[in-house]
Amino acid sequence: MLHYIGIAGTNSAHSTNRQLIQFVARHYAQDATVELVELGDLPLFYKTADHSVPAAATALAAKIEVADGVIIATPEYDHSVPAVLSSALAWLSYHIHPFAGKPVLIMGASYGSLGTSRAQAQLRQILESPELDARIMPSAEFMVGHSLAAFDDNGDLKDLTLVAQLDALMTNFAIFADVNRQLTAKMTRTADWQDSNH
Amino acid sequence: MKFVGIAGSIADESYNRKLLTYIASEFSPLADIELLSIQDVPMFSQDDDQTQSAPIQYLAKKIAAADGVILATPEHNHTLAPAMKNVIEWLSFNVHPFENKPVLIVGASYYTQGSSRAQLSLRQVLESPGVGALVMPSDEFLLADVKTAFDDHGNLKDERTVKFLGSVMGKFAKWVTVLKAMNEKVPDEPWRQEDLSAGHPSDTTIDVPMDAKDWVEQGAAKTNAASGHDYVQLDRGLLTVDQLNWFLNTFPMEATYMDDNNQFVYYNHFLDHDDMLAPRYPWQVGNAAISCHPERARDHVKQVIWMLRSKQKDLFAMPVPGNKLNEKYIMHYYRAMRDGDDNYRGVNEWVLDIWPIVADYLRRTGQTLAPDPSAKPDAVSGASQSAKPAADASTGASESAAAPVADATSGASEAAAAPVVDATSGASDAGAAPVADATSGASEA
Repeated sequence: MLHYIGIAGTNSAHSTNRQLIQFVARHYAQDATVELVELGDLPLFYKTADHSVPAAATALAAKIEVADGVIIATPEYDHSVPAVLSSALAWLSYHIHPFAGKPVLIMGASYGSLGTSRAQAQLRQILESPELDARIMPSAEFMVGHSLAAFDDNGDLKDLTLVAQLDALMTNFAIFADVNRQLTAKMTRTADWQDSNH
Repeated sequence: MKFVGIAGSIADESYNRKLLTYIASEFSPLADIELLSIQDVPMFSQDDDQTQSAPIQYLAKKIAAADGVILATPEHNHTLAPAMKNVIEWLSFNVHPFENKPVLIVGASYYTQGSSRAQLSLRQVLESPGVGALVMPSDEFLLADVKTAFDDHGNLKDERTVKFLGSVMGKFAKWVTVLKAMNEKVPDEPWRQEDLSAGHPSDTTIDVPMDAKDWVEQGAAKTNAASGHDYVQLDRGLLTVDQLNWFLNTFPMEATYMDDNNQFVYYNHFLDHDDMLAPRYPWQVGNAAISCHPERARDHVKQVIWMLRSKQKDLFAMPVPGNKLNEKYIMHYYRAMRDGDDNYRGVNEWVLDIWPIVADYLRRTGQTLAPDPSAKPDAVSGASQSAKPAADASTGASESAAAPVADATSGASEAAAAPVVDATSGASDAGAAPVADATSGASEA
């Protein structure tokens, strides 16, 4: 059984991105466990003089380290990733590297019609930076527009075309995680030289 | 000239703050540049609105009062610093001090990039509609290898860098001056007072959150609203609510009721969102006007509502952009609704494609449209002007083609026969076409 960490890029109590992660967890429960983690305990990122990171970041890093992959659902604020998510990723790449070589699947939900397309593109760029060094599932995007009306009372996605798209993505993500395991075993970690630079 | 500068870092040591301090000192003859601290700004949360807190009010007021803003961003993971993004999220939530504010982006980094990618993402964020800043185009000030860039007094060591920074600052001052002149020319028109956020409840406003997805259901429960078999007395008639719905939902147009508080309170829901000419979702009912119109349309919406509310007009008609000549002509009509005392009570908006009606009319009357050579083409606001020549054309045509049409009402067989018989006596001008049409028109009647 595969084990993923699910991150909704929000600190809001009511978030359709958290709903999306919860749907993924429930809908694919037979194939994988998806553990939803929260970002609300992490302070706003700043460079600490002693290179330490908050305990909440260490705990989150430990969970990501042992997972087969990470699924991130990002909101979009001002055409970009919310500060709470970019801040969390900054902590999770500050002298610790839980994302290095880790398969990541990006998705997002928004109230409007675009489904966070711009935030997803930016998140991809962030995750590809050497300090994070994540393995983003290629050519994959999953955008839920008009998210306030996208889920039924049980929290299931109403649009069956979207669900079919997600089915394929999740199947391919499992294959991608498997191939990536073989690949990373043979590769030098980019972050190894990055650490010596700081 | 007064500028404020913000470094996107809350660490004790920041090279970007050092860069801004240098800029403030070096260019003090050009402008008074004040550095603002973002140290105490909490993490943005839409659940916990702290817009009124001192650290955010301080930033909002300082930025609003400044002629321009200089932002210095570090780069983390190929994007702008979370601390900088966090500040911008607060300042694009319930206050918008960056709107139309000239902004200059600079940045410093440890290595070769000089925050190049962070600057691009910051630019993208600042130009989003919720922020609305006027970021100075083209010039980029990227300070690389920042650890060795300053001398012991905090001055930039490299002369060429100083010279380039001077030209960037000079250009920014000019940019600020030009934009200021541009903004001052905009007079404060009365239509701007229209409140699209529906903040002026009227005597029909229901105390239910306007953004609630089930606004209708909540409001119905609260007002003990009539439904189903309940009768409603109308001017002039008596219908059940069901009958009223059947009636309204079979009008050949999409109708919307925006009340006097600019709240969207009704539409005749007979089509799904994707099939509508002016698409709406059932859960949007109850929204303030501002929530159902994109930013770019809002000024125009205000103008139209104001025109109706202030009685400059009772009806405003507008074709949508992208209509196709003699194929599709979608019109939006806005009609003021007034009560017995002539007070404005909202706008009745209806939307329909008028081409099928025109096409049907032409077919029934055996006419074709011809362009009026003397009419000025006016694709944008052309409703009234282009309608005129069309009307004239039909008047002209009726003189020759009227006979069969008039006959059609008085009797199918006679009408169809008459021109054929007449053809021998020379009514050739009317032509064969009206004959054929008169026949089919008559049979439908």
